[in-house]
Amino acid sequence: MSGRTRKFRFSSAGAQQALGVPSEREEWKPGKQANGWVRLWLNYRKNKAIYWMVLPVVLYFLIFKYLPMYGAIIAFKEYTVGKGIWGSDWVGLQHFRDFFESYYFWRVLKNTLVLSFYQLLFGFPAPILLALLLNELRHELFKRTVQTVSYIPHFISIVVICGMVVDFSARGGLFNSIITFFGGQDSALLSDPSNFRTIYTASSIWQELGFSTIIYLAALSGINPELYDASRVDGASRLRQVWHITLPGILPMIVILLILRIGGLMEIGFEKIILLYNPNVYDTADVISTFVYRKGISEGSEFSYTTAVGLFQSVVNFILLLGANRLSKMLSDNKLF
Amino acid sequence: MAQAWLRKVGLFGAALLLGGSALTGCSSTKKEAEGQGGDDPISIWASLNTNVSITLKSMNEITAIQEWEKATGVKVEFQHPAVGAENEQFNVMLASSELPDVMFVYGDYSKLYNDGSIIRLNDLIDQYAPNLKRVLDENPEVAKQLKADNGDIYAIPHLRLGEYKTFGGMFIRQDWLDELGLAKPETVDEWETVLKAFKEKKGVTAPLLYGAPPKLSTMGPAAANFLEAYGVTNTIFLKEGKVAYGPIEPEYKAFLETFHRWYEEGLIDPDFATNDQKTFDAKILEGQAGAFFTFIGGGIGRYLPAMQQKDPNVNMTAVQFPVLKKGDEPLFTGRSWEWSGAGATITKSNKRPEETIKALDYFFSEDGHMLKNFGVEGKTYTMVDGYPTYTDEILHNPDGLSVSQAMSKHFIANYPFVGEDDDRYNQQYYQLQQQKDAVQLFSKYSENTLKVSIPPISLTTEESNEYSKIMNDITTYRDEMFIKFVIGAEPIDHFESFVDQIKKFNIDRAIEIQQDAVDRYNAR
Repeated sequence: MSGRTRKFRFSSAGAQQALGVPSEREEWKPGKQANGWVRLWLNYRKNKAIYWMVLPVVLYFLIFKYLPMYGAIIAFKEYTVGKGIWGSDWVGLQHFRDFFESYYFWRVLKNTLVLSFYQLLFGFPAPILLALLLNELRHELFKRTVQTVSYIPHFISIVVICGMVVDFSARGGLFNSIITFFGGQDSALLSDPSNFRTIYTASSIWQELGFSTIIYLAALSGINPELYDASRVDGASRLRQVWHITLPGILPMIVILLILRIGGLMEIGFEKIILLYNPNVYDTADVISTFVYRKGISEGSEFSYTTAVGLFQSVVNFILLLGANRLSKMLSDNKLF
Repeated sequence: MAQAWLRKVGLFGAALLLGGSALTGCSSTKKEAEGQGGDDPISIWASLNTNVSITLKSMNEITAIQEWEKATGVKVEFQHPAVGAENEQFNVMLASSELPDVMFVYGDYSKLYNDGSIIRLNDLIDQYAPNLKRVLDENPEVAKQLKADNGDIYAIPHLRLGEYKTFGGMFIRQDWLDELGLAKPETVDEWETVLKAFKEKKGVTAPLLYGAPPKLSTMGPAAANFLEAYGVTNTIFLKEGKVAYGPIEPEYKAFLETFHRWYEEGLIDPDFATNDQKTFDAKILEGQAGAFFTFIGGGIGRYLPAMQQKDPNVNMTAVQFPVLKKGDEPLFTGRSWEWSGAGATITKSNKRPEETIKALDYFFSEDGHMLKNFGVEGKTYTMVDGYPTYTDEILHNPDGLSVSQAMSKHFIANYPFVGEDDDRYNQQYYQLQQQKDAVQLFSKYSENTLKVSIPPISLTTEESNEYSKIMNDITTYRDEMFIKFVIGAEPIDHFESFVDQIKKFNIDRAIEIQQDAVDRYNAR
């Protein structure tokens, strides 16, 4: 999975072509049209089990990811239940125009980007730091305890987590007890718009920190211990080792995860926001997906309009993903596709 | 052996993987197949009342429903959306076009019909619903409310023809008033004095509690009561016979000034915007609330016994809807129309509409009416001098259920369902003296409400789409700004720009749509 092996494979294929070594494809000259299907069939005969194993995944993507895309055309229509998806009248880009001109457009866009950016800025480096810290621990039992304790919150349902956060931040709740202990004021923390982003980001980090660390720890265990031994001979300190061996060792993993995160930048989880917010804090808490949820199915039933808004979000996401991929390719030679 | 076991485990794994998609695929085909058979149950979509869900899982288990099935020979099967997600599930159901046979709803019937989800019932009622037809003939006012502009009927209604049409209002801690030597407040100024006394002398955090039911995100009925003292309400209403929108009227600003002052002085619950049913109940039961809006049956019937158990001196009584000047009559009293607005619709997927109509019409017959309001004779009521009197099963339930919970277990009287409410049910539902006084007090000015509230109009599909689009934006904006004005995050001087923004959302067009519909209604 690491970028380095990928790079190696690409360059070897390139080398083959450059040297004029005939590749498999060129040998199959006769019957070029049937070529692909025949090869697929032969391959299937050879690896039956693998093809069957991949089937559920392919079906999953077809049924739950590709098939519903058909419904997205209602973004360009005035959908009414009676006429159905196909029979409804076309309205072109009307719904997109409505959204861009909407009073709430800039607010939800800004909130979506800011919340995501906070998640990225504070949430992304946190597990890397924890992984580096854990990696330096030599006491096995302590290390395992810390790891277990820190990843348990990941397995608690988001509904329960948010219920706890809401209770803790209410007047007289845990957070307020702490604040008043240090001489602060008892207040309903979740009805103040300026608190929402902090509470949201901090609780996300707390919940996901331990679990996201696992993947970095796995990458860390792949680093050749001889490198550490060699550096110790050269007299490198602990910090030097982290800087010159550990970090470069997990860099490909960091970059891949970063690209994925940027690709999902706008896709902020709406369940958590819906469970935490109230009209007091719409100013900082209302994001595109909660806006879509309220307008589309909970308070209103503007199916077409909200589909258009959702589509807009996906398009922006897609552009961000492409951008991040391109950027990473330019900077570090690591890329997703 | 080992191989066979492996194969089983493997199959199980594959089944799990495919399970998700296979299950969703099956359920829809199964439903369709059911609809075609002759003896299959008629499916009824209805939200499950919380009083029912305490003892039963589905309305199928209600005694009256089982008796109804026996009497009409029709099998029914209730489908209930998850509590709290009724709106979402209803919208998703409509969009998916996978409809049950009957939907019991409270909503925009013309839109449902124009969307092709439900069918027109006039001919079916003429032929198969003699009892409902008789009720409509005898009560032309009801018929006028029920029919759309073009005379179509889309719902088998829930009716309130008796004298009880207001079910909730402000309640106050009478024991505190007595202790402090204060009279019941009538005007907004008197309320301020009383709330101040509660704050200062009783030291409570929420002299005036509000924010909770029925809709958590909006102003809450208590706030609306005080706004209505100023002669406007929170949404559209009739101002001297013309449609108007409350929040852009100058009276709204005067109300905001008062409420902002009350908030600053700690007279209203500082957490009003985040209250939910749980915190709302807790504040009352812990004695932190001095006055609040609640329902006579499900609210006071629950709070008062619970609190008196701990402290027998606790007393809560109803207060008349507030007014500005002493001697004024309140206009808004929450009076329901004769047609409560709720009704059963028959969907286009229903294969046996005649049979369905016949079965629903049973509730308008003499027997069905008794069954809906009183349950089964000998079990839940007995006839005493011609008056159906509830037995101890209802009034002093051996399992410790409250009156509303015991009723909900056996029949459908204390929440909307097809049929007609009986006054004799309401007379016995309210067992406590405080409740009996409350229902009289709240109904005193209920005729005034007819002059200010919008009748059960119907909109065309285009009107309805346009109206809901405009109002969706406005409602969100209004609720946010209301909170900001009250807590002082937005100075009240900005009221003009608030009005301008609502005008920008095109409130004038929304008012125009409603005005047209009201004109059409009056011309019926």
